[in-house]
This record gives sequence, structure tokens and C-alpha cells, in this order.
Amino acid sequence: MSPRTRAALLRCARNPRVMAGLLLALAVIVVALGAPWIAPHDPQEQDLLNTLLPPMWSAGGDPAFPLGTDTLGRCILSRLIYGARVALYVAFVAATGAMLLGTVLALISGYFGGWVDWIIGRLVDIWMAFPPVILALILLVGMGAGVNKVILAIVLIGWTRFCRVIRSEVIVVRRRDYVAAARLAGFTHVQTIVKEVLPAVLPLVITLFSLEMGIAVIVEAIMSFVGLSVEPDVAAWGVMIADARTTMNQAPWGVVMPVAAIFATVLAFNLLGDGLRRALDPRLVTSRESL
Amino acid sequence: MSRIALQLLFRRVLLAIPILLCVSALVFVILRLLPADPVAMSLPPGATAEDLAKLRQAFGLDRSIPEQYLIWLGKLLTGDFGGSIYFRRPVLDLVSKALPATIELVFLGLVLGVALGVAGGLAMFAWRGRAGEQVLDLGTSGLMAIPEFLWAILLILVFGVALPILPFIGRLSPGLSLPPPVTGFLLLDSAITLRLDVLGSALRHMVLPATALAIGLAPLVMRVLRSSLMEVIQEDYITQARLRGIPEHTILVRHALKNAALPTISLIGVQGGFMFGGTVLVEMIFAFPGMGNLMVDAVRNHDLPVIQVVGLVYCVLVLAINAVVDVVYLMANPKLRTA
Repeated sequence: MSPRTRAALLRCARNPRVMAGLLLALAVIVVALGAPWIAPHDPQEQDLLNTLLPPMWSAGGDPAFPLGTDTLGRCILSRLIYGARVALYVAFVAATGAMLLGTVLALISGYFGGWVDWIIGRLVDIWMAFPPVILALILLVGMGAGVNKVILAIVLIGWTRFCRVIRSEVIVVRRRDYVAAARLAGFTHVQTIVKEVLPAVLPLVITLFSLEMGIAVIVEAIMSFVGLSVEPDVAAWGVMIADARTTMNQAPWGVVMPVAAIFATVLAFNLLGDGLRRALDPRLVTSRESL
Repeated sequence: MSRIALQLLFRRVLLAIPILLCVSALVFVILRLLPADPVAMSLPPGATAEDLAKLRQAFGLDRSIPEQYLIWLGKLLTGDFGGSIYFRRPVLDLVSKALPATIELVFLGLVLGVALGVAGGLAMFAWRGRAGEQVLDLGTSGLMAIPEFLWAILLILVFGVALPILPFIGRLSPGLSLPPPVTGFLLLDSAITLRLDVLGSALRHMVLPATALAIGLAPLVMRVLRSSLMEVIQEDYITQARLRGIPEHTILVRHALKNAALPTISLIGVQGGFMFGGTVLVEMIFAFPGMGNLMVDAVRNHDLPVIQVVGLVYCVLVLAINAVVDVVYLMANPKLRTA
């Protein structure tokens, strides 16, 4: 590990946002992975004698259902816990796909410039003319609904966020002396990109990846709320909100709980991304060190 | 407006034409991937294959995709937006009713979001280095972790259900008659025709949805404004102003804010476009009869003619708001004015 990498890691570890985000994200990941052991009930199990129970701490609550039950008597806590699996699965796979597609196009576009850059730039322009939700809805109409289609839609929308930001960074890095030196030393273009340019933009890629995970959680929630993501009986946070919305007057908890779950998860990824940006951004770092 | 601003506007319009052509082709092709047949679904049970073929022919669905696209585009350019399969009405009718509602909502959302954001950004800047800034900074992180549609639901829970002080369904209280359409915009029409009961009811119905949209924008404005104020405040002319004995708040408003506004203006350009996307779910949740509600209904019923046009209208709105903000940016930035 180079001293520079170590210094960067140390800066991250000292950043309260990074650590808070990391802890919160780890908590959600543990809950999602351990769902079968943590959840008190099967998320589909219906108890029609105990529908719309309030949480256990309020009057009429039942300790068997710590956060109460929904209209079909299903345990809200268990559904929340299993919902974390859907959210994290979509967040991780979709953000990875968007990152790969966007970063590769950004590297090609920024490094080679010329007509390749022009074409990729115009593609980004066209994509940016759509509000993301509209493009996602149109893609899901064309491809059909389903959670994997939602992932594909997020990849097909999210790549522009990576491409735009990383491309401008690549253009800066490309002009540095060590990149020219690598070419003079006989590196091929691919070697130069992978060994010299990519490491320089990697902090930015990681930051954007974290933020994209948060965006993916939101998009999945929107799409499952509208009924275009998971099957209606799968426990996903968006589905839970849509189901509980009809009984919001009697049982506001059914809506508040999944909203809180989405909030905590998105906040984790946002804090992490935000903290990483502040800890790793070369401009911010140098300005802080020069002070 | 100066000549340069007009030139810029003209350039943006010219640039928008190829983008819109590509966008419309893209939407058209994506929608033709659809595995289901929307026409077959709209037929009553017991319809024959012949009925289906006739209807498909009527909607032009029996031709090749490029042919369909060119026919559709040609009609669009002559003002024929096609007919909805699901609503059984001309798409133009549906869009011209829904569009003003959405524009009014986004306008209020933008005004409210920018006002909250600028106030918050100034507060963060005024409290720089103190606990208040940290609290607001963490607050922005929290606000940004909740998307607009969840704000919509939370606002309904608090101000519609728990403290029932604001309406949250539709655009007007039931029983009110609509003012005669002059501009098509409800707020303007009711103000022009002095129907203050309608104006009041419409505004009350827009408070919650516009707030939901505004909370999505405000934290971003706060952050960008704060950081550009931090940069501007280190400039020499600020020190000069201080040496001349100008009070700190006058420096902030007269000198710093003017220059720090530029990054905020471009942010509003980008986010204003996204706000139109945010209206989709917010309108659906508030049963607000705008483009978003139309879009969701069309998506659920695979109403391709509607989705095509509505998708395109959203892109026109995004490009228009970008162009307007670019012109404002140019007019606000003296460095670019003589370029």
C-alpha cells in the first residue's frame, strides 16, 4: 500500500460522515443478510385475526408483532427486514452496472477525445433531456415490469451521472506529465488508461458509486410503489408504502416504518458518498492542507 | 433582453431540435419493445381476430417500426398528436388539460424551494464555523435522503390526517365551478376573472404538493449557495468593501450574493428539469390532475400514444427550463455579457 493510499484511507477513517455512513450501511447489510434469523415472522405469513395492530409500545400492541401488522395481519418488522434484501440487491447490482458502463465510456470519451468524445457527449445530452423518472417509466413499459428490469433501467439511466463527472476529471488527468511519460515508456493506450488514468479518478468513482446506491434504493422504492418492480406479494419497502397508504388514517405506522427504512438506507449511502468526496477530493484536500 | 441573450436563446432552440428528434425516436423504439399488445388488451372480451386487425390498422400498428415512427412524427408536426387507446380521446386534449396544472405546480415548487434554499444557505453562511452551521449541514443530508414522493406522503400524514388543516386530494374543493378558461392556467384564470374562492382553494390544494417538491430542491440550493459564498467572501473586493466601512449584511446582500448566485442559478437549471420528474409521483399521490398523473395512468394501461407524447413534452419542458436558466445566467454574469 502506497503512503498516499494509506493517507487517503486515514482521512476517510477520521471523517465522521464516512464512519457514520459506513456503520449505518453495515447495519442495513447485516439485517438484510441475516433476515431469516432476525425476522420474528415469515414476511408473507398472514394473521387475519390481528390486522392493523399498532406497534408494541402503544395501546393495543402485541409484543409478538413489535412494529404492528398490516391490513393482512402480516408482521411489519419482518417485512421491513426482508425488504432490506430487495433494496440492497437492487442498490448494489444497479450501481455496479451504472458505474461500469459510465466509467468505461467516460475513460474512452475523456482519454481519446475527438469524434468518440463528441458522440458520447451527445448521447449524454439526449439522456439528460429526460427527467430520470420519466425515462425509467418508459423503459419499464418497453421492457416489461420486474425487479431485474428495474435494475436494468437504473443502469441505463445512471451511467450518465458517472460519465459526465468522470469524463471531465479524465480530461484533466490526461494532460498530466506522468500520463505522457507512460506513453513514452511504451505503454499502450489501454495500459495507460488502466494503470495511470483509472487510479487517478478512482476516488471519484467510489464516491459516485456510493451516491448511486442511494439513488437506486429510491428508484426501486418508486417503481415498487407504482407496481412496476417486484411481484406484489414480495416484501419491498415501496410495496409496503403503497399497501399501507389506503389505511393511513387508522394505521399511520404502516407508512411511517418503511419511509424510515428508506430514509436510513439512503442517508447511509449519502453520508458515505458525501464524506468520501470531502475526504478524497484532491482539490478539497490540498486546500485544507495548505491552510 | 440583450442581443446576446437572444442569440443564446436562438442557439439553444436550434440545438433542441436534433435532441428532440433523437429523444422521440428513442422513446418510440423503446416502447415498441413492449411484449404485450395494448390494442388487444383494450378490446372487449369476445372480440374476433378481425376486430383486432382492424383496430391495429386504425392505430397504424401493422406497419414496420421506422414507418410507424415517420408517420407519427409527420402527424405530430402538423399538430395531430394521435388518439389515446385507453382514454379514447385525442392526446392533445389530455395534454392541454394536464400541462398547465403541472407547470403551475413546478413553478410554485421552484419558487418555494429557491426561497427556502437561499434562506437556509444564507443562514449556514452567517453561522459559519459555529454549531448552527453543523446542524444545518447535517439537516441537508437528512432532507436529501427522503425523495419527493415520500415527503408527499409524510406531509399528508401530518397536515392532512393528523392535523387536518390542508386539503390533499385533487386541485380544487368539490362543488366549486371552474372559471371560464382564458389562459388555461387555473391560478391565472381565477385571478383574471376575480374568482377569489377558486384561487384560494387552488392555492390551498397546491401547498402540500409544492412543499414536497420544494423540500427536494432546497437542501441542494443551500449547499451550493453556502460554498460559493465561502469562495466569494475571500475575494479582494469584499475586503475593499469592508475597509470602506460598509456594514457586513450590506456586503453580503449587495456584493457577495450577486456573485455567488451564478453556481446556484445553474444548479436550479438542472434541478428544475428534475423537478418535472419529481411531479410524477407527487401528482399521483395528491391525485393532482397534471402530466404526472396522466403518465402513470398511461403507463399502467400501456397507452403508447399517450406515453410517447407525454414523454416528449417532458423533454421539451426540461430543455425549455435549461434554456431559460442559461439566459438568466448570461444576464446575471457580466463577464459573459460581451462575449
